[in-house]
Amino acid sequence: MSDVQPTITVDARGVACPGPLTSLIKAYRKAKNGDIIEVLATDAGFKADVEAWVKRTGNELLSITEEGGVIRALIKVTAR
Amino acid sequence: MPKRVLILGGGDGGTILANRLVKKLPASQVEVEVIDKSDVHWYQPGFLFIATGEAEKEDISRRRPGLFRKGIKFTKGEVMKIDLDDRTVDLADGTKKKYDYLVIATGSTLNPDEIPGFEQGVDHFWNYEAAMKLREKLFSIKEGKVIVGIGGLLYKCPVAPLEIAFLAEELFRKRGVRDKIEMKYVSPIDRAYAPHLLNRVIEEEMEKRGIEVVTFFSVDSVDPERKVVNSLEGDSLDYDLLILTPPQQGVKAVRDSGIGDDEGWIPVDKHFLNIEGYDDAFAIGDATALPTPKTGVIAHFQAATLAHNLAVEISGQGTKEIFDGQSFCVIETGMGKASAQVSSYFYDVPPGLIPNWVLHAMKLAMNKMYWRCILTGMI
Ligand SMILES: Cc1cc2nc3c(=O)[nH]c(=O)nc-3n(C[C@H](O)[C@H](O)[C@H](O)COP(=O)(O)OP(=O)(O)OC[C@H]3O[C@@H](n4cnc5c(N)ncnc54)[C@H](O)[C@@H]3O)c2cc1C
Repeated sequence: MSDVQPTITVDARGVACPGPLTSLIKAYRKAKNGDIIEVLATDAGFKADVEAWVKRTGNELLSITEEGGVIRALIKVTAR
Repeated sequence: MPKRVLILGGGDGGTILANRLVKKLPASQVEVEVIDKSDVHWYQPGFLFIATGEAEKEDISRRRPGLFRKGIKFTKGEVMKIDLDDRTVDLADGTKKKYDYLVIATGSTLNPDEIPGFEQGVDHFWNYEAAMKLREKLFSIKEGKVIVGIGGLLYKCPVAPLEIAFLAEELFRKRGVRDKIEMKYVSPIDRAYAPHLLNRVIEEEMEKRGIEVVTFFSVDSVDPERKVVNSLEGDSLDYDLLILTPPQQGVKAVRDSGIGDDEGWIPVDKHFLNIEGYDDAFAIGDATALPTPKTGVIAHFQAATLAHNLAVEISGQGTKEIFDGQSFCVIETGMGKASAQVSSYFYDVPPGLIPNWVLHAMKLAMNKMYWRCILTGMI
């Protein structure tokens, strides 16, 4: 997935409150179908959160990786 | 020649910074001027208690000039434009202000237009007028559907919508109408509140109090005529009273000066708080683009760090400190109890405390300590 270029990056590292998922939804509000949102987070709960969110909203989770304590999720916007 | 520190905004961050700075440095070394467009200072957490009828205007507001220590110059004026390269600030009356060091502490402004229908269809308590309007409704509603929750996603005081849900529920009980009112709490994520441990406490309490949590409900628009709120996920809910967080953004002067991001939040160094690319201009409090919650506690701790660092820089003595993202929030859960949460950059699984009366007593004490001890820079 390293060849996929994000169109929107959300840096939510160090955000416990209001939380990285909220930052993602904020970006999603302004996004259009076809956008690729990249989220960087350190909150350990983010993985499960983003999986539940894409499932509920019908967007596409392209990849989710973790390196050096930073979780990187790539989401393709398909449900706007 | 004393160094000239110009502070834009005399709210929590600006006032605490000014008062701390003149405590640390003599007039021969520093000249501090604070500019604010209003000469009334509001204790904003008090808006919650205005809405519930537990506080009045005089409890939560003071004349601003009386809140500054001797030696601080307060100017009432509206900032229109900030030029970081020319080191000048333009005021609405045409005055130009120069500085050696600039601190932007202009907070945030409401942006209801982000959610269509918000202005006409939604109640909130993010300023005095709105809180008074909400009070009237909380005291007059006899039956129906009350929806509380997150509207705008980035707003001052992340826990405030939880607090109004609990306090409104308690008020309906006291008024004897609780059994005729259905209460829901809408949240854009899969639970009521993001930090997991506190969320456990919150959801347990909501269940006990009969407040249904509606998850994955990101408010998209409101139809004030039909009294329906619609979500981005495609769901709709009817309401009789809708209490949501208003969308917020950086203030116009910052947006017009091209300093902030697309919503006017100012990017600063997360530890030293200088505006990216500048070493003589800083931003603190709600105005920054930092991922920390927008709270008075954060503004307070940032002001303390910056006052120390400016004093070190100006006097050439001592060592600078870093801001570590430290935050502490007390959450009113009603029935004479409150919970609390602490977090920092280095600690992103904040614990949530079981609601108890000690924390509630702390929050009440804070309503008084705020004027005497916090704004003055004592603690
Ligand atoms: C309902 C509610 C409940 C809250 N509860 C809590 C809580 O329990 N705990 C907590 O820690 N925090 C709470 N907060 C948040 C807290 O009040 C803010 O985070 C805090 O005031 C931020 O301080 P600040 O200095 O950044 O901004 P502010 O205190 O908002 O000050 C900004 C100042 O800038 C001035 N200004 C803006 N634009 C201009 C301009 N162009 N020219 C001149 N002056 C200008 C404004 O007049 C204002 O005085 C709550 C807020 C609300 C609304």
